[in-house]
Amino acid sequence: MKGRGKMIISPKDTITTPQTAVIVINFTLGTGILTLPRTSVEKVHTPDVWLTVILGGLIAMMAGIIMVKLSLQFPEKTVYQYSQEIIGKWGGSLLSLLIVGYFLTTSGFQIRSLTEVTKYLLLEGTPTWAIIMPFMWVGLYLIVGGINPITRLFEIVLPITVVIFLMVTFMSFKIFEVDNLRPVLGEGIIPILKGVKTTSLAYTGPEIMLLLVAFMKEPSKAVKATLGGIFMALIFYMITVVMVLGALSVDGVVTRTWPTLDLIRSFELTGLIFERFDSLLLVVWMMQMFTIFTMAHYAAALGLAQLFKKSIHPFIYGVIPIIYLISMTPKNINDVFKLGNMVGTLALFLFGLLPLPLLIVAKWRGGKQ
Amino acid sequence: MKMKRWKSKMRKIGNHANENENKQESASQDSTNQFSDEFILNLEVVRKEIGHNSDVHFREFIIGHTGIQASIIFVEGLSDKDLIDKHIMTSLMADFSIEYQQEQPDVKESLSNQFIKNQVLSISDVEEVHSIKELASKVLTGSTALLIDGLSHAFILGTTKLKTRTIEEPVSEALVRGPRVGFTESLSDNTSLLRGNGETENLSLVKFQVGKRSKKDLVVAYINEIVDPELVQEVEKRIKKIDVDNVPESGYVEQLIEDNYLSPFPQVQNTERPDRVMAALMEGRVAILLDGTPFALIAPVTFSMMLQSPEDYYERWIPGTFIRFLRYIAVVLALFTPAVYIAFISFHPGMIPTKLAISIIGTKSGVPFPALIEALFMEIAIEILREAGLRLPKPIGPAMGIVGGLIIGEAAVQAGIVSPILVIVVALTAISSFSIPQYSVGITLRILRFAAMLCAAILGLYGVVLFFLFMMSHLVKLKSFGVPYMSPAVPYRLSEWKDLMVRMPLMMMKRRPKMMHTKDPLRKG
Repeated sequence: MKGRGKMIISPKDTITTPQTAVIVINFTLGTGILTLPRTSVEKVHTPDVWLTVILGGLIAMMAGIIMVKLSLQFPEKTVYQYSQEIIGKWGGSLLSLLIVGYFLTTSGFQIRSLTEVTKYLLLEGTPTWAIIMPFMWVGLYLIVGGINPITRLFEIVLPITVVIFLMVTFMSFKIFEVDNLRPVLGEGIIPILKGVKTTSLAYTGPEIMLLLVAFMKEPSKAVKATLGGIFMALIFYMITVVMVLGALSVDGVVTRTWPTLDLIRSFELTGLIFERFDSLLLVVWMMQMFTIFTMAHYAAALGLAQLFKKSIHPFIYGVIPIIYLISMTPKNINDVFKLGNMVGTLALFLFGLLPLPLLIVAKWRGGKQ
Repeated sequence: MKMKRWKSKMRKIGNHANENENKQESASQDSTNQFSDEFILNLEVVRKEIGHNSDVHFREFIIGHTGIQASIIFVEGLSDKDLIDKHIMTSLMADFSIEYQQEQPDVKESLSNQFIKNQVLSISDVEEVHSIKELASKVLTGSTALLIDGLSHAFILGTTKLKTRTIEEPVSEALVRGPRVGFTESLSDNTSLLRGNGETENLSLVKFQVGKRSKKDLVVAYINEIVDPELVQEVEKRIKKIDVDNVPESGYVEQLIEDNYLSPFPQVQNTERPDRVMAALMEGRVAILLDGTPFALIAPVTFSMMLQSPEDYYERWIPGTFIRFLRYIAVVLALFTPAVYIAFISFHPGMIPTKLAISIIGTKSGVPFPALIEALFMEIAIEILREAGLRLPKPIGPAMGIVGGLIIGEAAVQAGIVSPILVIVVALTAISSFSIPQYSVGITLRILRFAAMLCAAILGLYGVVLFFLFMMSHLVKLKSFGVPYMSPAVPYRLSEWKDLMVRMPLMMMKRRPKMMHTKDPLRKG
């Protein structure tokens, strides 16, 4: 068993601490940027949503720390390998399969919501498969290279995202009104708590640490990397929610499917070469979706490879049809969001509730030995 | 059965006969390959070996007043005739008799080769050879052979005179500020240019021979105290693997040692500038110089190196940074402008700012073609123009470019085949792609631009994004001699970003690039 881990993850495939943080940020930011203002306001109904976003981030940080601590108990092993050591062969395999299923569904869901946005704004009338397939091919080309090229691509995409995202959102200052964010805590704390589940689901992403710790050059810094990654995501979400709410108000947000995009589309800055920025935002958002999709795809293939103790390549190709089928299952946009909720619930169970008992069992067993 | 036996018998006989022939041949070869004591015979054998070449000259003469026959053999044009006349012929024919008569009264017996070598031939490069094959190959590369009656070997005298051109400013890499020195076709000139460029003690020049039939010298240069020994080993390993019969230019070497031949991106840098090579060596890279070409190779390279010019460092850091920024913008423009044009015009006209959209659509209304065809037409036209301008004689080339570009552009707009805004787009991409200092990267970008245009024509802006992701995926996977092609941009190395998009002041760049694993990480000074 011990040698096995090294065989699949070749010793050269290590990632640095900043790289880990970058993966966490990229894997966290996704559909949430476009939908979080709506989904959270739907639950909270007051302008205090930004507090909920912070709360969700804190919860995600806690979950992240637990998951990292769990992984640190088993150096150089991914969750697929050490879960069998904690809860036995069958239980571990079942859990691994569930996690693989989660990653498959995530990548299917992300690719489908990308397709929906693309069809809505860019390529009306283009068949869904024609949008999904090239995306998957490009992803496949990247994933075959292993974790290092994936990470390096993430590192290229992130700065582009940060620059363009900040530029575009701050352009909307023109229609920003502080009154839309008032009153603070007008209805007390209860509404804020109502939205916590939704906002913390927007932070699904740190679970990738269950695999990444095994790849890290300095696993001792894993906690730092995770917290840094989630913190960056928190800032992104805060900016999004505050700017969108400030411009569109609570009532305006609830009725829009993609409120962030509508915000960008709702203003024109005259006098610049570009007067409309939705295309720029879409471009960086697509890249973000690409990062989530590739990472989830890779994580699922890695899980199967380690479960069956085989080389990863056949599984990388093998899961493609599964992801494609998952992404084609939803019939309309509502089904897509339902799928998203399902993924969220699964994540809550797998990565919110389960890691703590696992950690306790692992510590207890380790202590006994 | 019978047939078979008969055949095998015949074969046996045949083999026998062959063996006999072989034996005879090898025996005769042995006898011809060695010198005999007979001067006339020797000369005859040499004549047989190379005498059929019209440019090989045999000059027979008598040494001084001794009556000893001798002959020199040399190739017209390859050997330095001045040298032969002054230091071989004169000393053997004229000077010889005087000195000799004074010291050695008895002529014939003491004509030792030591005497000839040490006292007569006033030439630095003298060598004895014992086989005729060796003599032939030396003579054919420019040496002069000296055969003397009574000696069972020959002297090879280094009289090679290569025709080289003078050192000129490199044509393909012009600079406003910087040394006006470029490599030439002569390897020895090029290595001496490197030696003369400063650091002479630690500069290692290791010689190899490449090419099976036409052997050429190749020199691997690196600085011993800096370079990573593993890199040198890897480069030498790849060079030793080269197995072709002729290597006419360093482009052959480049293509035979590169990491990924399917990639459109060059993974080895070529340059005509000694200063550029020296700067690369100082960063811990390895240079490869080939005889017969002014283009040296530098490995490993990164994408950012391709966008740098030595001038970035010669100018002060603020202009250096500014120009570097311009180049990065130029890369983006050269790659994506026509693609974005096609995407917006044919897929998302709603995303263009309203006023701009109105003016574009106004000018494009008469154009009968879809945006892709229109853009392809103009892009291909300008590529042909560029190629034509390159091949034409120097005085006509630029004129042709200007006239052709202006006339075609203007006429196409007048005729309503293309919209004026497209002409601007095409001109912009052309200028941008020419502003990239490395010619080979400019070509790569021009090719990829067509791929981007096709993607845009199929899937609009989404296609362009996919193309970008695909290209980036390729770039992050690509390596040049083990160094990731996109480093130091990714993985993040903040300390090396001082010399990436910006060029920070020289005193801030105290370290050599980490990715080169240099023995000595600090630049001195």
